[in-house]
Amino acid sequence: MSEITTQAAVSPQVTSPADTGSAVTLQGVSKRFPGVKGADPVVAVDHLDLDIADGEFFSLLGPSGCGKTTTLRMIAGFEYPSAGSIQIFGDEVGLEPPNKRPVNTVFQSYALFPHMTIEQNIAFGLEMQDLPRAEIKQRTGEVIELVQMQGREQRKPKQLSGGQQQRVALARALVNHPKVLLLDEPLGALDLKLRQAMQDELKRIQEQVGITFVYVTHDQEEALTMSDRIAVMHDGVLLQVGSPEQIYDAPRTRFVADFIGDTNLAEATVVDADHVRLADGTAIRVSSDRAPDSPITVALRPETLGLRQHDAERDQRLDAVQGVVARVTFLGNANRYEVAAADGALVFDVRQGNAPGVEHFAVGDQVRVRWSPSSATVLED
Amino acid sequence: MANEPATVEALEPPDLDGKPPQHVAVAGLEHDAEKAESRRGFLIGLPSYVYLVLFFALPLAIVVVYSFATRSASGLTVLGDWNLRSYGRLTDDLVLLITWRSFWIATVTTVICLVIAYPFAYYIATRAPRVRALLLVLVMIPFWSNFLVRTYAWRLLLSTDGPFVRILEFIGFSDVRLLFTPTAVTLGLVYGYLPFMILPLYASLERLDHSLVEAARDLYASGWEAFRRVTWPLSRPGVIAGSILVFIPSFGAYVTPEILGGTGTTMLGSYIQRQFVGTASDWPFGSALSVTILFVMMIAATFYFRSGGKDL
Repeated sequence: MSEITTQAAVSPQVTSPADTGSAVTLQGVSKRFPGVKGADPVVAVDHLDLDIADGEFFSLLGPSGCGKTTTLRMIAGFEYPSAGSIQIFGDEVGLEPPNKRPVNTVFQSYALFPHMTIEQNIAFGLEMQDLPRAEIKQRTGEVIELVQMQGREQRKPKQLSGGQQQRVALARALVNHPKVLLLDEPLGALDLKLRQAMQDELKRIQEQVGITFVYVTHDQEEALTMSDRIAVMHDGVLLQVGSPEQIYDAPRTRFVADFIGDTNLAEATVVDADHVRLADGTAIRVSSDRAPDSPITVALRPETLGLRQHDAERDQRLDAVQGVVARVTFLGNANRYEVAAADGALVFDVRQGNAPGVEHFAVGDQVRVRWSPSSATVLED
Repeated sequence: MANEPATVEALEPPDLDGKPPQHVAVAGLEHDAEKAESRRGFLIGLPSYVYLVLFFALPLAIVVVYSFATRSASGLTVLGDWNLRSYGRLTDDLVLLITWRSFWIATVTTVICLVIAYPFAYYIATRAPRVRALLLVLVMIPFWSNFLVRTYAWRLLLSTDGPFVRILEFIGFSDVRLLFTPTAVTLGLVYGYLPFMILPLYASLERLDHSLVEAARDLYASGWEAFRRVTWPLSRPGVIAGSILVFIPSFGAYVTPEILGGTGTTMLGSYIQRQFVGTASDWPFGSALSVTILFVMMIAATFYFRSGGKDL
């Protein structure tokens, strides 16, 4: 996959915006909305720096109200930034109206023109650019084929299913050959099965047309599956940017660790540069640069933990905690165990696949939770 | 927990066993229930049926019948000698002139209302909900006072020593006369019917999904193009409803042209009224005029609604 090559060198805050490889660059972008009835202004986006590479599938991920949609709307031109600079391929566009920007948007609600046919909807952008009729016809035809909507050109949007409307919205944006395609939770209104199918299709189309996608979503799974890079936002602040693997395996903050996938957060105290002590007194191997005795949080993914039978001798080893199974949930392909250690001060969520030969445990069993030192991550907060 | 589903399962089958005999009877019962329902519906509607038949359908029928009657030399109406003479007079020069004048004044009124109301309705529709409610109340405030009184007020405003004339003369016009002119009638009609244009326009603009306008702008449309290609066509139902609500009462207006108009601005409403009072009265002709206008309006309105509704 291309993400590995794009990934290696990129650390967004460091890369200079003048680099030719940048599709979209945001520098110190803030957006404040006036408060209602004399209240303080609401800061939707707070000093955001982003550098999105050309050809990248880039996701803005976060819970609702985190500023991801406002960020996208500022790139599209529907909102103007209160401060900062927005560049698209090196051109400052922060205060340009939407029709002067080389980007197109796929709206959450699709926003298809209800009084126009599918063909008219798709041709709209080309007509507004005063392209010759023959070219409009040809490009409209091409993109209808790309999203597999042949034979429905003369229908009205209302006569299409949600998934079909979604494809038309995509076609209407792509037909203009935008330099950057902005997508605002485009799959939010679809049901699960359709959403998964559309995820694959979006990815296929992005690879086929090769343009930069900026994708807003609150669905971490969607972001992980599709993106080359993800930016996690919370309360208008950018928390972490990285590949799905980096975000998932090495979350930097408590919020990122918690928001992306399931995670175990264990409070601990630093012993030395390579060891920390958990609440139950067990020392485990984690490197950290904090001073001894400072409190830290360790994140452990449930699937990186293993369960073994209690064994007095082996339990003296590092990277293992003794506990009692408090709850077992059957998930089909796996079992989920809740293991309480140190009289409940520490609770581990353990996911163990149901491969043949894997030991099963019942509530009340004395067990040992263990992991490989590399899967433990120290969080910044 | 695990026990619960089992109990439900155990209980339900006997319950179902008891039901099948009832299923046979249900078809008939359903029919009876539906009949009772429609009887009740008729009873609820009865007062308004009676009212409409007594005070609308019946008088209208009388008007239709009179339109085929004859006017005696003394101005009385003779029933029995049925004929189409009154309808034959509809093409008289005077009738055509007055119809044309009414049509022209109503059209100008409608266009002016549309031009004034559209930006205002758009402005209201794009405000915060609280401001919106306030502005809508302001639009409807004139309805709280009597239409006749308000029209007489216009007479003062437009009179030769009124503010409008003075301002015009101050600017440099000389010998200005506003009152009793078609301009005065049009002004009065615009004033009276403007809310009927604003409200339906507001309703259709308020429903408009703003992301459609954003989508148009995103697809390289200028502000004007976005309006022309998206906002305007999608607000057409409001334009049509508002135009009908303004045009029809303007076309048949009586009070406004009577008070603000002069001899040269007689419109259909006044002309019809004149057929029913005074020495020159001619009830059959007045009836024929009324019936014809009603019929033409109905057809025009139906046609207009159809042409606007099919796209949406």
